[in-house]
Amino acid sequence: MLRAACILALLLAGCSKGPEADLQYIQQARSAAAEWALVNEQASQGKLTDTYVASMHQWLRDEIRSSSMTLTDPDTRYGLEIHALLQQPDDAVPEELRAHADKLKQFEDDLESA
Amino acid sequence: MNPLELTLGIMTAVGGFVDISELVFAAKAGSQFGYALIWVFALATVGIIVFSEMSGRVAAVAKQPVFNLMRHRLGLKLGLLTLAASVVSTLITCAAEIGGVALILNYLTGAPYVLMAIAMTGFFIASIWVLPFKWIERTYGLLGLFMIIFATALVAINPPWSQFAGGFVPQVPKGLSTKELLTFGYFTVAIISAVMFPYEVYFYSSGGIEEQWGPKDMLTNRLTSIIGMGLGSTLAIAILANSAQLFGPANVDPEIPGSAALQAAIPFGKWGLILALLGMFFAVAGAAIETCMANAYSIAQFFGWIWGRHKKPWEAPRFTLTWLVLLMLSLVIVLTGVDVMVLVEFAVLFSILVLPLTYLPLLLLAGDKKYMGEHVNGLFANALGWLYFAVITAAAVAALPLFILTSGGNG
Repeated sequence: MLRAACILALLLAGCSKGPEADLQYIQQARSAAAEWALVNEQASQGKLTDTYVASMHQWLRDEIRSSSMTLTDPDTRYGLEIHALLQQPDDAVPEELRAHADKLKQFEDDLESA
Repeated sequence: MNPLELTLGIMTAVGGFVDISELVFAAKAGSQFGYALIWVFALATVGIIVFSEMSGRVAAVAKQPVFNLMRHRLGLKLGLLTLAASVVSTLITCAAEIGGVALILNYLTGAPYVLMAIAMTGFFIASIWVLPFKWIERTYGLLGLFMIIFATALVAINPPWSQFAGGFVPQVPKGLSTKELLTFGYFTVAIISAVMFPYEVYFYSSGGIEEQWGPKDMLTNRLTSIIGMGLGSTLAIAILANSAQLFGPANVDPEIPGSAALQAAIPFGKWGLILALLGMFFAVAGAAIETCMANAYSIAQFFGWIWGRHKKPWEAPRFTLTWLVLLMLSLVIVLTGVDVMVLVEFAVLFSILVLPLTYLPLLLLAGDKKYMGEHVNGLFANALGWLYFAVITAAAVAALPLFILTSGGNG
């Protein structure tokens, strides 16, 4: 029974492609954008050390870059949105980063309801 | 009883509960499902208390660590299979902890990740080589208590306490889509696995033998299990609840360990951040040592070698060589550049598959009057033991399909 369940799971996992397969990368990029906004917001209030902020910027940017590179089609609207997010400077205004996160969330919701 | 004797439990728990996997899983669980997964932590905490108390009792009375039992109770072939699976899972976990420590040092100092991974491996080798077992557990167990900042942060952000309390009631949130239900299922299984990591009982029972526990230490064993694991669980639940309050509404699904530190920075500023990072550093460093030692204990006990840190390194040469090689192998895994979070996901998956085989021999021996005499499992301990055995077996069966269907909880 376990073997049958595993085979079924593998088949189901193997079936997803295109935007559906991209969904998790859009989610990752959205989450990283939202976290980037949170980090910049807290940093602007003097609650974080400079070293931590620089380090988080690097890891979050890596995460977004990795999501962008794993997309099946980078020229989709969400691909371009992630690309635009990557163009933001490290110390971008939190509201602007949140706007990118919101747009990506909208793509997520559309794909999930499709 | 000397309160410092509780440090074995504190190190086991802080390094077991609040290791790198917990920092991420608890935070992700909170951001995605609010307080709805708190009951899984509570359920699994009772499970790890039951089995760690049992393993400590068996170590004290029958003088048998877990892997001795495994070979005798499961037979050579199944025992060897369990050993192999367990060594792989614990090795991956150890690599994830080393990567995690390097990441945390990167957040603290800005020093390069790879350099920190190499330096910390050297530091761990020196720690295990030089420090007596008692000092290893005291240093990492007590300094890991900086993690209490996460519980303090929860009080400071003052969440809706009625909703928080409601999280302790077993539940599946209403209105979830099929995909979200599967993800909820995956998180349930992953939390059980991460809380009940087999290496915790390998380390704990071997630690009891290192400390030469006997039947007179039953109270120490019971208190250590309950207080140590209870403390670890409280901290993990605090991380989950902070995340439900701070990350969920902000659309953040924390993917990197550094995110957790924000939970203390938001209410307390820079000092909160630094204390959180220090707590995470010592807890994850403790977990790295714990996983490496647990693996070396397992191998040495299975093959009947002389083992233990109560002996000088050269008095137990094969044991010493084993932990040295295991630490170096873990470092090599980190140096391949594999993502720490990928390591965490695989460690959790492998562990749940090994769990039933780890706990079955323990359960059988703790219930055997011939070995345990008057300290044999009572009706209550036996009932709880078998109940949890059923829970982890069900979780082990569900783990792989859920992992594949949800891409490791990523939807």
